Amino acid sequence: MKSGVTISLDWGRLQFFLGEVFKNFARSKGMQITAIATVAVTMFMLGSFLYTRETLSKLSSGMLHRIEISVYLADRVDDKEGRAISEVIGADPRVAAVTYIPKAEGLRQLQDRLRGQIDTSLLTSNPLPNAIRVRVKNPDAVPAVAQSIKKMRDVGDVEYDQATVAKVLRLTETLYKLGLIMIVVLIVAAAVIISNTIRLTVFARRREIAIMQLVGATNSYIRAPFMAEGFIAGTLGALVAIAILAVVQAELIPKVMVTLSFIPFSTARVDELRLMLELLAAGAIVGVIGAWVSVSRYLRV
Amino acid sequence: MNLEIEKGSFVFLIGSSGMGKSSILRLMYRERTPTDGEVHVDGIRVDTMKRSKIPYLRRNVGVVFQDFKLLADKTVWENVAFALRVTGASSKDVMRQVPRCLELVGLSHKSRMFPHELAGGEQQRTAIARALVNNPKILLCDEPTGNLDPATTSEIMELLLRINLKGTTIVVATHNQGVVDRMRRRVVRIENGRIVSDEERGYYFLGLGQTSVLSG
Repeated sequence: MKSGVTISLDWGRLQFFLGEVFKNFARSKGMQITAIATVAVTMFMLGSFLYTRETLSKLSSGMLHRIEISVYLADRVDDKEGRAISEVIGADPRVAAVTYIPKAEGLRQLQDRLRGQIDTSLLTSNPLPNAIRVRVKNPDAVPAVAQSIKKMRDVGDVEYDQATVAKVLRLTETLYKLGLIMIVVLIVAAAVIISNTIRLTVFARRREIAIMQLVGATNSYIRAPFMAEGFIAGTLGALVAIAILAVVQAELIPKVMVTLSFIPFSTARVDELRLMLELLAAGAIVGVIGAWVSVSRYLRV
Repeated sequence: MNLEIEKGSFVFLIGSSGMGKSSILRLMYRERTPTDGEVHVDGIRVDTMKRSKIPYLRRNVGVVFQDFKLLADKTVWENVAFALRVTGASSKDVMRQVPRCLELVGLSHKSRMFPHELAGGEQQRTAIARALVNNPKILLCDEPTGNLDPATTSEIMELLLRINLKGTTIVVATHNQGVVDRMRRRVVRIENGRIVSDEERGYYFLGLGQTSVLSG
């Protein structure tokens, strides 16, 4: 009995395989359209979710990266000492950038910000201390960096928008967890539905499968054309979903951007090519797994 | 019960329907497994064989049924080639083996026809060609003439005889008295899952021939 598998490229054999796949695909057109539509709907949901998630996470990280630590130096510190301190802070590897703001500059910025609200021209002296603005590379490190600056000599107050940092960090984490759950749920749902659909095409060909088993076809040989069908249906479904997503994005996003103009959408460019490839891969995987499951039921393994 | 079938022999399994003839055949191509005992085919233990090995057993054991089990949407040629294709055979093998088998069963001229365009006997010939295309050592026939008229039946039996003469072991489960009596081959009678007689040139009815082995 020969049990070794010989693999050789053989045009006739390939032709036979592809012929079987396309014949079966054409024969169960209705079923395949159902499968493709199912995958398209789930992939559309998955795609819009991933799109939203990426937009939000880009927005939140954009917000985080704009968070600054404001360091107010003690009153006795003069410009020279202040610049020295700012250089020390800048040498910290966690720090991205430092800007030294002498008290005169600080006052000008304050006047700019309050223009029309409070008449600052009445001020006779500058009440502000010299200050340093610190930007941190990794938003997670903001509290720690603030702590270590606070311990330095000649440093008065250290402030940063604690509540925002905490909120945004929590949002990111929730999005991430929710994302994983959503992805798993959607993929499983799609695989179950597509497997049920393919099961009907398998059922229609159970006679053929029985004969294949009778004449000595291996299970993987019997599975192959069904998995190819699942692959095609899954990929086509993902393509449909991508097309719909592209239309929705082109139509909807500009309107949303106008309506919610206070959100800096321009900082949140979604990597569309990657999203597309992810959806294609998800669709193909779902199709192949679904087919595998439904054929296995008829192979009694 | 204990049944041994010699290489190259021609054996009838007889008995009324539901007595276990088909079950014995099914044991031999591992469609079923025995609750007890052992099954050996061509020196290989079949009943405990791994599932993944079953396809390779089936390439060595051809099976023919009463209802032919042909694929309706494939031509005669395609039905026969199909059995070869699914074993991963190359196109070269297909081009060589399929005409050989069709010629053997006398269907070369009808290779482009579909099963529904053929007479019963021709459909069975197609099924036999399909069973033989992998060059099996054993050909199992489960009521091969059950759906055929007497004239066609003798044609099919003649074909089986010719195949047997080429060295293929043949086991035929049947309850067709005429077939058994004409051929005068080894006859194993099964009743209620037991072998009640085993005769070397037997007839359909017990006692007409010489009883060589009796076992239970």
